[in-house]
Amino acid sequence: MAGSVAFMLMGGVPVRAVLGHALRYHGSIMRTTDRIPVTVLTGFLGSGKTTLLNRILSEQHGKRIAVIENEFGEVGVDHQLVIGAEEEIFETNNGCICCTVRGDLLRILGQLLKRRDRFDHIIVETTGMADPGPVAQTFFLDDDFKHQFTLDAIVTLVDARHMERHLDEMKEPGEQVAFADVILLNKTDLVDEATLERVERRVRAINATARVFRTRNADIPIDAVLGVGAFDLQRALAVDAAFLEPQYPFEWAGVYDLPAGRHALHTGAAAHAHHHDHDGHDHHDHDHDHHAHEHHAHGDHGHDHHGHDHGDGLGVAVLPCSGRDEAALAACIEPAVRAFAEDAVRIDCGGALQAGRALHRIDISHEGGGAVLEMPSAGTVAVFCEHAPAESGLRLAGHAPVVQRAFASHHHDEKITSIGLTDPRPVDFRKFEEWISYLLKSRGEDIFRMKGVVSLKGEDRRYVFHGVHMMFDGQIERPWPVGAERLNTLVFIGRNLDRQELEAGFHGCFA
Amino acid sequence: MKRPAAMLEPCGSVVLDDFVADIAWSPDGARLAVAGGEGKVFLVERVSGATAQALAAHEVGEHLLGTQSVVWQPRGAAFVSSGQDGTLALRDGLDGRLLAQQRPAARGLPATAWSPDGRWLASSAGKQIFLWTPALEPAHALPPLDAAVAALGWDRAGRDLAAAVNGGMVVHRIEPPQFQMRRYPWAAPCLTASYSPNGKVLVTGTQDGSVHFWYLATGRDSQMRGYPGKVDVTVWSADSRWLATIADSQVVIWDFGGRGPEGSRPQQLAGHTDRIDCLAFQPNGNFLVSAGRDWRLSLWLPGKTPGALDAHLADSEPSALRWSPDGRFVALGERRGRLAIYELVRLS
Repeated sequence: MAGSVAFMLMGGVPVRAVLGHALRYHGSIMRTTDRIPVTVLTGFLGSGKTTLLNRILSEQHGKRIAVIENEFGEVGVDHQLVIGAEEEIFETNNGCICCTVRGDLLRILGQLLKRRDRFDHIIVETTGMADPGPVAQTFFLDDDFKHQFTLDAIVTLVDARHMERHLDEMKEPGEQVAFADVILLNKTDLVDEATLERVERRVRAINATARVFRTRNADIPIDAVLGVGAFDLQRALAVDAAFLEPQYPFEWAGVYDLPAGRHALHTGAAAHAHHHDHDGHDHHDHDHDHHAHEHHAHGDHGHDHHGHDHGDGLGVAVLPCSGRDEAALAACIEPAVRAFAEDAVRIDCGGALQAGRALHRIDISHEGGGAVLEMPSAGTVAVFCEHAPAESGLRLAGHAPVVQRAFASHHHDEKITSIGLTDPRPVDFRKFEEWISYLLKSRGEDIFRMKGVVSLKGEDRRYVFHGVHMMFDGQIERPWPVGAERLNTLVFIGRNLDRQELEAGFHGCFA
Repeated sequence: MKRPAAMLEPCGSVVLDDFVADIAWSPDGARLAVAGGEGKVFLVERVSGATAQALAAHEVGEHLLGTQSVVWQPRGAAFVSSGQDGTLALRDGLDGRLLAQQRPAARGLPATAWSPDGRWLASSAGKQIFLWTPALEPAHALPPLDAAVAALGWDRAGRDLAAAVNGGMVVHRIEPPQFQMRRYPWAAPCLTASYSPNGKVLVTGTQDGSVHFWYLATGRDSQMRGYPGKVDVTVWSADSRWLATIADSQVVIWDFGGRGPEGSRPQQLAGHTDRIDCLAFQPNGNFLVSAGRDWRLSLWLPGKTPGALDAHLADSEPSALRWSPDGRFVALGERRGRLAIYELVRLS
């Protein structure tokens, strides 16, 4: 534009990188102790945000807390500061990246700094439909506020009773879960255990790194939601180890010692509420006639009727197992993966199956239904099931597994997922920087959160990073433990993520 | 070593029971109104003794949740404080007595500004701008804007009121019953509204690290980029030649003399060792003062010397900085409540 003057390198301030927030590779430990921690509280109307807020403000914890609530909030506790905010989204350019922030928050935060003694904590409550991204990015973007405030955690409340429907019908609930560091699965007193298991598994499938708590009336210890330090780069990446395993097509396996004969394989009532295909099904309407109509089209209930079907039913593989311990079970995993990759043999309600290499799809449309496992002779088998027993209701009548294990959940029908990458090979920092820059620029909108610990070539200390949308922060922090394996661990939470694409990109960073 | 052109001589201080969020001098320089960040409002008198000056402070009022600003009536004997509680309070300048109070908004009022002739007080709350009489009676509510107001600024004639919003500047010409509006669009969150004293240029600092300005006679606009962060302070020298801004720990000064700043490099005044928060040009001269998180108060003379003429260490982090109307004194407010007065002493 006419007459514009650009001056760079003001007093040694580095030129901004493409990210608008240069990847830092330096030796200092970031001091967060002087900064005011901020908690972002999100969740749908009715999830219990106000209950949680009022509890936090009422309890005698000795903290001076300021709450910034949406304009129509109902929080009110006399001795704490509560400020109403009218949400205003700014689009602002930070270097070459355009990102959205909350303009009203910037003003209010500036005002909150005008105190002799600063607050111990600030809580920002977002509206029910809000995307937490702009709020979180606000704390990364403003150079001044970055040094005055620290984002402590994004806490998302989930109404356990309605969450499945919310996830199915809207995109905002999934996003709120995806951004979270702490998730409160609230109102647990209003749902049964099976529903709770299901909701929790879906939530964990979206966000593998958040801590999930089950609560009623948001009754959580305060230090579980305040002082989390989720954005403190000194804290190690906390990820469920199971999540970092390869993604298997089954969620549970159990080893059984069985005598010869026919053994009832039950699937419980919980199986009716599960679904494999979101399109065109009302999953909360237990309309057996609807399901029955579909299944009957494939044949009758004869025990020996088999058909080939990729869709309905519970996927089960029963494999011969060489032993009764975990090692024997582990040896069955690869054959089970191969079995699950094959076309399924359909087993109608009450139909029979045998141990072998086949994948079976058991009709679960009838309450109390299931199949029969035929054992021509006594033996040990490993039963691999698509879904965990708490969800599928799968059980072998009269027998308990001698050993069992769970595998990471894999709800492939979720649009938002968590993808974890691990690899022991050292990374070239320059290549990593370029990859992250490219990733954030091209996929920043779809990536809600990212976290990781990276082993850099020639560096004895860990490089730790985290990001929210296009805002990224990373630093060198403490040394790798002596003798321990230096394992790169990266987690991406986002929409329409491609594991292969991310893997290929990361593998290109190795030294 | 060459003798500096001037220096700042401390001449009195007082410690108030609040964070000094804003300061306003009375027109005769005898008193100061102080806005306390946690809510208190103070009236401070400069008391002359035989050998020294002292400051006597009186707490005269309070705004719940915090006082945001104080503005003294030009040529008047009262001042207005605005609070986070959404209230405006008009107080007597001699004893701080409450004269009138209004509550135009449920939330805080981010900006208040008297027109230079004292005819209007403008205040903003969210997207709404209100005009008040000198007695704090409602005069007019301007139509709501489509974005919240970050700052207000009057031109010297008191005829045009500029509002900084996300997306540019909105200028209302205040000629009741006409209140014509004109937009100066710029795709950025604008944070300041500063007319040059000669009325020729309107300037704003933006969230994304630039200074944007318009030549009002032609409407031509231009931009200075490259700041390391948001630009939330823009101040003009009295002769409209220098525009001073803050770039982290440096004062950056653009020369609007001659053909203007386009194609020029700014003066970059180094001396602070941490971020500068406060900057003020002498109202009737070219001396400039800055105060920052290094607890330093510095005196500059742009265009003459590249380094600070003088510097003082405050008792805590500076939070407000104002010249007296006659340009002889500087009031520095601090986080821990200290209010200190310095006299500008010319040495050459």
